[in-house]
This record gives sequence, C-alpha cells and structure tokens, in this order.
Amino acid sequence: MIEELGWVSGALALLSFLLVCTLAGRRVTLARAERRRVDAEERLRPFALGLVEGDSISLPPLNAYESRALAVVLTRYARQVSGAALARIGAFFEDRGHVTHELSHLEDRRAWRRASAAHALGGMAAERAIPALLKALTDPDRDVAAAAARSLGRLGALEAVEPLAYALRDGRLPRAVSAQALLSIGPPAVPRLRDLLADTPSEVTVFAVDLIGLLGDASDAPQVMALLRDTSAEVRAHAARALGRLGAEEAANELRRALDDRIPFVRVNAAHALGAIGDAFATLALARQARVDGFDPAEAAARALARVSPEVLEAVASAPGAGPHLAQAADVAQVQA
Amino acid sequence: MSENGQPLILIADDDPDILELVSFRLERAGYEVLQARNGEEAVQVAIVRRPDLAILDVMMPRLDGYEATRRLREHDETRRMPVILLTARVQEDDIARGFEAGADDYVKKPFSPQELGSRVQAVLGRR
Repeated sequence: MIEELGWVSGALALLSFLLVCTLAGRRVTLARAERRRVDAEERLRPFALGLVEGDSISLPPLNAYESRALAVVLTRYARQVSGAALARIGAFFEDRGHVTHELSHLEDRRAWRRASAAHALGGMAAERAIPALLKALTDPDRDVAAAAARSLGRLGALEAVEPLAYALRDGRLPRAVSAQALLSIGPPAVPRLRDLLADTPSEVTVFAVDLIGLLGDASDAPQVMALLRDTSAEVRAHAARALGRLGAEEAANELRRALDDRIPFVRVNAAHALGAIGDAFATLALARQARVDGFDPAEAAARALARVSPEVLEAVASAPGAGPHLAQAADVAQVQA
Repeated sequence: MSENGQPLILIADDDPDILELVSFRLERAGYEVLQARNGEEAVQVAIVRRPDLAILDVMMPRLDGYEATRRLREHDETRRMPVILLTARVQEDDIARGFEAGADDYVKKPFSPQELGSRVQAVLGRR
C-alpha cells in the first residue's frame, strides 16, 4: 500500500513538473512572439507614417508576417485620421489586394471568417466594401452582422443609416452596436433618429434621444422636450441629459419642472442639464434641491449651481443649514477659480 | 523655441498612435516636438520646457485636456502659451468648455494631419 502511494505521489510530482515546464515554455514563446511583433512594427512604422503623409514610398520586400504587421499599424492609424490621409490608407489596401482578399472572405462558409473579414474591411477604409457590408448586416450570424455594423460606422457609410436605424429599432443587433455605428456616421443620421423618438419602445427611444443629444442641434429641442413628460422615467432622464447637451435654452422651463420629478435620477439629469444650459432662473430651485433632496440629486444640483452662478453658490453655501453638497461645491469652485 | 531655433511644440495624448502621427507631421514641418502621455505630465513638461504651443487631447488620464489647459493658464511660465485641444467631442457645450478653460483652438478627432498642421501654423502666426 505504502509502495503504491509512493508511485502515485511520484507520478503526480512528475505531472506537476511537466505542467510547470509547459507553462514556462508557453510564456517564453508568447514573449518571443510579442517581441517579434513589436520589432516588426517598429521597423515598418516609418513606412506607414510616410504612406499616411503621401510620400512616394518604395517598400522593401516584406514576408507575410511583415505584411500583416504593416497592415495592423495602418489599420490603427486609419482609426485616428480623416481626409486625404485616410484615403491614402484605403488606396494602399486596395492596391495591394487586401480589400479584394477580405471581400472574398465575406462569402466564406465559416462565420468567424466572415466576421473577421467584415471587421477588417472597416479598418482598411475600404469604401468599395460598403455594398458587401450592407449585405453582411443581414447575415444570419449575429457576430458577422455586428462586425459589419461597426465597419459601416467607421466608413461613415450614409447608405447604412436606414438599415442601422432599423436594427436599432428591432434589436436584431445589440443596440449599443447599432447606436455606436450611427454615432460614427454622425449628423446625417439625425433625421432618421427623429423618427425613432415617436411610437417606439422606451429602450429604443433612450438610444435615439441619446444620439440626438450627441449629434443634433437646437432644432431638435422641441421634439426632445416633449419626452420630458414621457411615462418612462428612463426616457425622461435621457431626454433631460440630451437637452443639456443640445444647450436648449427653450427647454429651461420644462427642465425646472423636472427638478420635481418623483424619480431621483430624472432630477439628477434635469439638474445637470440646467447647469449645462446656464439657466439663471434655476438658481433658487437648484439651491433648494441641493439643500433638501437625496444624495445624488442634491449633489447634482450643487454642481449645476456652480456652473450657473458661482456667486449665488457662494452666498447660499455660507448660509445656515446649507448642507454638505453646497459647501463642497463652493469649495471646489473656489479651488478652480 | 528649441535650442536650434525651431519652434517647440508639446503634444499630449494617451494614445501612442496619435503621438506618432502628430509628431511625424510636425517634425517634417520644421517644428521640434515634445511628447507627454497624460495631462499631469503635459503640465510639468510645459512648465519646465516652455514650448511655443501645446496640443492637448481632451480625454487623458490623470488630468483631462480642459483641466490641463486651466493649470497652464495659472502658471506665469505658460500663461500665454497657445493651446489647441484635440477632441472627439464636438458638441457646442464641449467646445465652449474648451474655450472657457483657455484653449485657443480645437481640432476634431479623427483628424486630418494637414488641417492640424495648418491650425498650428495659424495659431503660432497669430502670436
């Protein structure tokens, strides 16, 4: 019995040793691969930068690994630049056949390959890929459709506004993905987003109103203002936030009314919005909220008051019974002054 | 000015790709470039080296671009130094916040290197 236990413990010790050796070997291999990648990117970076700047570059002969490394660097740069620099990156991928290669993979029977191609085409600034990516939006695999949506957003494809808005409405894609793509496309998406403000479930409305807050202008204020009376507290809160972002002064009355909303996070957002608008008529209401409301709405009101009128804040913060939020906001304002 | 008489420009961004792209454009336009990875480092470098202009990302760790601009305005060494904000936020409120903090101009991300070069030249020319 003791002899058998000895054999078992010996075998376990050997197994542990082998496992440790395997993990150590794996770690060394990964570190080498990472170093190789960093070295290749370092070597190719001047070529990538010259290419972005429109220099006539004669690339040295590159092996497959180096070609991939150059493509990775250029794809990263494509996220940061616009205009002629972006067009040059697109032309590079087009001329080298990368776009055609990835487009062929969009037809692959394996979903992961289609998703990878859809993702890559967005990074290549490949406008020629827009029709294929629009088709990929209806791919039965959700990951492929989501990758196509992201790429269409990065390409700023105006043709994608309608299908993306549809996807936002029916939830066929994760709504955050559709919304992000529409945000990347920018203000041209706003007219279609306005349509989503009416007669849609509240989970759709909140995305639409957030996007309008980010992409819209003063002319959107009346439609967003109406949502301050929505039955959904989520919608009311997001509408208040959007009005603040739009700088909608005409919404000040309605936002002051929203300071009395029965839901605390609506009051928080109303206070933020009044601060962003700089509504001088809201000072008394904000000061009251900062004194008597719960923690979050009171803190939001005090911060908003600091933005609207530091003088009033200073006066009310030093009055008896001002409470901690006004005092704290006044201290912060004093430090920043 | 740098030691060799070239205008000295500070670029601060937590994204190394942006630092590379902006530095490359500015260096070939004849400027000497200093880099910082966050707002706090940008303020420290600016106070010590006194660049002719700073390009600050708005969303940076430790100190955002607005706060970094405000701090630069508080120091005698950097009070009059022009600041260009590099920002993905282009809502009126965000732009106004940048100007309130003391920025002279802003450039929207993703950015055109050519446009950024022109803005730098214009802002330096105004001084």
